[in-house]
Amino acid sequence: MAFPLPRGITPPEIAFLAEMEQVNIVPRQRLEGLELLGGPVEPLLPPRRATLPLWLALLLKRQRRANIVPPSWLHPEALSLILEIETQHSDYQNAFSPPPPLPGQPSVRDRETQQTPVAMPRSTQDGERYYASPPFLPQNVARDYIPPGEPPSLPYHWLEVGNVLLDAASDDLVDPDQTRRLLKELREVRMAKFRAGTDVLDAAAIGGGGVALTGVGAMEIGEGRGFVTGVVDGLRKIGASKEQARREQMAEDMANGGYGATQEDDDEMEF
Amino acid sequence: MDIDDILASVDRDANIQTPESATLDHQLLTRFWVAERAVSELLPWPASLMDRIMERVRRQIEAIEDLAASSGDPTASTNTNNATLNLKLSILQTDLARTQYLIRSLLRQRLSKLTKHSMHYLLLISPNHNTSQHTQSSQSSQTQQQQPEDSVPTPDDMANTSPLSPQETSFIHAHQTLLARHYGSSFLSTFPPQLRRLDDNAGGTSMVQGPEGKEAVFVRCLVDEVGVVVPPGDGVEEEMVGTGMRMGDVWVVRWEGVRGAWERGEVEIL
Repeated sequence: MAFPLPRGITPPEIAFLAEMEQVNIVPRQRLEGLELLGGPVEPLLPPRRATLPLWLALLLKRQRRANIVPPSWLHPEALSLILEIETQHSDYQNAFSPPPPLPGQPSVRDRETQQTPVAMPRSTQDGERYYASPPFLPQNVARDYIPPGEPPSLPYHWLEVGNVLLDAASDDLVDPDQTRRLLKELREVRMAKFRAGTDVLDAAAIGGGGVALTGVGAMEIGEGRGFVTGVVDGLRKIGASKEQARREQMAEDMANGGYGATQEDDDEMEF
Repeated sequence: MDIDDILASVDRDANIQTPESATLDHQLLTRFWVAERAVSELLPWPASLMDRIMERVRRQIEAIEDLAASSGDPTASTNTNNATLNLKLSILQTDLARTQYLIRSLLRQRLSKLTKHSMHYLLLISPNHNTSQHTQSSQSSQTQQQQPEDSVPTPDDMANTSPLSPQETSFIHAHQTLLARHYGSSFLSTFPPQLRRLDDNAGGTSMVQGPEGKEAVFVRCLVDEVGVVVPPGDGVEEEMVGTGMRMGDVWVVRWEGVRGAWERGEVEIL
């Protein structure tokens, strides 16, 4: 047995991943900059704010060497707004509230004005394109300036970061009890949506199909992974012979009708 | 050549040991680990990335040892100095342990996939196996000395071993040879010689099982738009495009439908 864990990262591994999120701290002591394997760490000069990975911020917090600045979204006001979007907003009755935009992606508000997203890749040393994504985006830093009209949004690792900060740094948060209650409510609302979504899992069992879960959190995927992949794979096996028959029929049609006929079919499907 | 290409080439030529490259490599390693943990098949070994990371780990261990040695020196340090040094050491060691955990989990996951479908991967990296199998079987029909380990293909040293690393290649060959010999001595030797092969495909059904590419995975789309494809098969010769994913979307789709997009870095596995 080389490796006993099931496929797909498990909840402890997701928590490990969430500890790579960047947070802001206010250091209480000086420390020179360090070269870590995960990248350089800026020098700590109290009372200047610094941005560190969460695991390092927690290490310093537990030794009372720093205070953590809570992320902008981890605030009773922002959380109740998100909860309102999740429960009251008609667009999100069956969907999760929109996640924070990726770099180059217009915010939810600008998407209505038909702004097209422009992905901004970096180049790796092997010459491949790399698009940054959570946990390596500043989704959990305390933002001093929030553009007016931009709704707050839950970052990808919201549940893990929220809980770990409530555990280890509740004295740094604004109204921790209220925050804890709101996080619990959000979790329940979103879990209900996740469960309601199992009805449409058929779509992912067909070749070329899929089920959208945009806005889902990492831990929510971790909890639902075994169930969702199990159902989808089960449905795929049940429908395998039907799918094969459909594909063979399609191949026959293509052979009979030639290239022109398939073109027409494609057009019909699109409109 | 546009400005992006020029910038990209400058990026590439930058010194390997810059701090920025450490950050980027760490992110790439993390993303690769998550993907390797989620996908049913073995992903191509990122040789140059792993070489850079292992080199950095080696240097970091040396740096930590140097620091630890200096903290043990009683004459050179005062009390406050010692406290900061200990803090620094504990941060560096935590960081090292986290990276080592990632590497260890990644390697063990790969070994588990390799041993589960060992014959499949051995056949995959031994391109000339079919011809040798033919000569072997004609010989064995004369000699009647067919052993199970004869059916284990030998990877060519010079050949491209993707998706396996060279170390994994030698491991999997040794593993499968031992396994075949064990099967042979414990029960296969009592079978008729023509039934002793481990890659039998009598009746059109191959007994070598590979990973299931149709299994569902969670993906996030990182570019403007990515289509979920249906690879050719079942008589349909061309690739078909199904549902489209937009930037920032998270989807549950078949792994084979997004494998190409993953290789181009346009989606990430969650």
